Amino acid sequence: MKIGENLINKVKEKIAISDVYRQPEDQITITVDRNDLPEAVRILYYDLGGWLSSMVPNDERQINGNYTLYYILSMEGGKMTPDDEIVKEDKCWITVKTYIPANDPTYPSVTLKVPAAVWYEREAFDMFGLTAVGLPDPRRLMVSDDWPEGLFPLRKDSMDYRHRPNPVDHKDEPEHEFIKPEGAGVLDVPLGPLHITSDEPGHFRLYCDGDTIIDADYRLFYQHRGMEKLAENRMNYDQMGYLAERVCGICGYAHSIACIEAAEKAIGLEIPLRAQAMRVICLEIERLHSHLLNIGLACEVTGNVNAFMHIFRIREFSMELAQLVTGGRKTYGNVVVGGLRRDMTGNEIKQSLKILETIETQTNEVWDAVMDDKNQIKRWKGVGILDKQVARDFSAVGPNVRGSGFKRDSRYDHPYDFLTQLDFDIPTEDGCDVFARETVRYKELLQSVSIIRQCFEMMPGGLTVIKPQTLIKPQAFAIGNDEAPRGENIHWIMHGNAQKVYRWRCRAATYNNWPSLRYQFRGNTIADAALIVCSLDPCYSCTERVTVVDVKSNKSKILTHKDLKRYSQSLKNHPLKNL
Amino acid sequence: MKLLDMANKYGKATYNYPFQPYVVAENFRGKPSYIYENCIGCTACGVACPSNAINVKLNEDKTKLVWEFDAARCIFCGRCDEVCPTGAVVLSQEFELAVKFDKNNLKEKGELDVEYCEVCNKPFTTKRLISYNLHRLEKAGWNKETLDKKVHYIRTCPDCKRKHKVEVITQYLKRGTK
Ligand code: SF4
Ligand code: SF4
Repeated sequence: MKIGENLINKVKEKIAISDVYRQPEDQITITVDRNDLPEAVRILYYDLGGWLSSMVPNDERQINGNYTLYYILSMEGGKMTPDDEIVKEDKCWITVKTYIPANDPTYPSVTLKVPAAVWYEREAFDMFGLTAVGLPDPRRLMVSDDWPEGLFPLRKDSMDYRHRPNPVDHKDEPEHEFIKPEGAGVLDVPLGPLHITSDEPGHFRLYCDGDTIIDADYRLFYQHRGMEKLAENRMNYDQMGYLAERVCGICGYAHSIACIEAAEKAIGLEIPLRAQAMRVICLEIERLHSHLLNIGLACEVTGNVNAFMHIFRIREFSMELAQLVTGGRKTYGNVVVGGLRRDMTGNEIKQSLKILETIETQTNEVWDAVMDDKNQIKRWKGVGILDKQVARDFSAVGPNVRGSGFKRDSRYDHPYDFLTQLDFDIPTEDGCDVFARETVRYKELLQSVSIIRQCFEMMPGGLTVIKPQTLIKPQAFAIGNDEAPRGENIHWIMHGNAQKVYRWRCRAATYNNWPSLRYQFRGNTIADAALIVCSLDPCYSCTERVTVVDVKSNKSKILTHKDLKRYSQSLKNHPLKNL
Repeated sequence: MKLLDMANKYGKATYNYPFQPYVVAENFRGKPSYIYENCIGCTACGVACPSNAINVKLNEDKTKLVWEFDAARCIFCGRCDEVCPTGAVVLSQEFELAVKFDKNNLKEKGELDVEYCEVCNKPFTTKRLISYNLHRLEKAGWNKETLDKKVHYIRTCPDCKRKHKVEVITQYLKRGTK
């Protein structure tokens, strides 16, 4: 029996499936009627143990006269309990596809049944004008508040990308509506427009009763760069990999790999073993680099600048490692369709192994010292609880979900290529708090070191790149996945004509973590707000301002980056005292 | 306390940059350096560059082919290095790209003489490319005589070549039908 066949049969019992398409073996696309869509996704999500990995709206009017929606589910088991997991051989991707006629662009909302779909459905309206009927939160998400009504940028015929709508004067810009809890005397704390830990744009609004946050809302996407549109219009695959890399300054390499993987999988292209191993090495270097950054920042926001400095000292080694492997201090500019651009010499491997040794011993040393610091642990423990059920409902990814006890990792659930030959653990913690997440990161660091070492030891010979003769098949599509430091990245590519891409959907890890952040804020103090956002390790560019509102007096105050950071570090002189 | 001990143990982690130069890895990918003498103006690098950092185009009065590189756009991928047939662009170890006051300081330029088509007199390639090709053909074992015969053909732009071919074929066809 083919992979996932029994899952499909179970869906078939209740819902009519009109078409099953496999590309490649473990990626199955089933087509259902649009009225059956919510139920089909619900069955796969809750009954059969799927997680919503991405949703791709697509304008296929040129191909078949319809819009289409693809709900991509990662079938790996619910994982609420240890035996609640699908066996390794049966893990697969199931995509639920549905057609939406061009003259009636509506579909029943899946969010009512599967909360994880909320952001995706909001985005589908912003970008394509496809309305989810019954969607509880139909506000704008991706496009700015002054974007003209009825202009949907990702429709193929919407606009010439060289011309943008004229910007609206700042004073005429509509206010964004925030969801507000009911009740007397909620304090409105604006956090932003710059984020406190990573100096990136994003507007948070915390609703507080005194010092306690009772609810939160946020407005992101101040920096939507329209990359997907750019790629569709004028890029070839050579350029696209490099463009995908620019999604993020830290986990960019993971994006380019996922993007190129998707393009390769759609045509069934196998890359040389040596390139596979080197791709894994680079991904793990990126993890070292990113986790060290985040643990460092989590110390810094709580005022432990000493530890921060030490961790950043170690982080420098990871950049040296990247320099040896790829020739740049970041792992960028390396991936091409069919393999990798640059090979390593034996001498470089030897030097790299030495650096790995240093990173491992010094990380252990610093982590031990941090663990000895009771004040530090006190700030981390019990803060920013991500409840198990919330994590399950919103399909959280990365250390965020692993800190809540789920063994979810793209390398473990959907390994491909060289990853299948490696031996590694996926660390999880049950604390659900900031402490658990940072511990997961620390343990993963050690795993990464071991993975890189194994790769170097097993390093296969041969070329690092093949020259593919025919590159693309129009309309072939596939998913590319990998585990970025923050969680699973999903790219979905549909080939077009003339060596170009027809639709590229890039879903960064943080995108899946944002909707649940609101629940993590509740019940914590303002001093911890910065820390909670930090432990999520958000990435604003790949997805993207804080107002504090007092529920009792109904007054609000905007906190500056400095105020909040200062208070979070010193816990003295409450910034809202004189409100 | 442990952390402070550690600071003593590992000593200074920073150094006196820029007074003490930073040593990069052997195969570091830095700013592409351009060796004007080697460039034949084949435009391969311009086509390969994913970020359009390299532009190769004719100047306004069509007398020179201008090779232009903008370091601000470069992503140091090394595609140009890979495709250049003569090794005229090579990634260097240079990474200090900050410039003062003028963005144009990031740009690098090279001008090459153009070659005009022997038939229509339009500029179509560079003098260097022609002599490079002739040189290659000579090396490949072509003798002087055949070369002299073909030189005219080599000095014709692709458009004129195509027209010429079409003429030859139509003539051939006409003859064939007679
Ligand atoms: S290194 Fe890459 S981006 Fe820079 S000039 Fe060469 S091809 Fe262009
Ligand atoms: S630098 Fe090299 S590739 Fe670029 S135009 Fe000159 S010879 Fe051609």
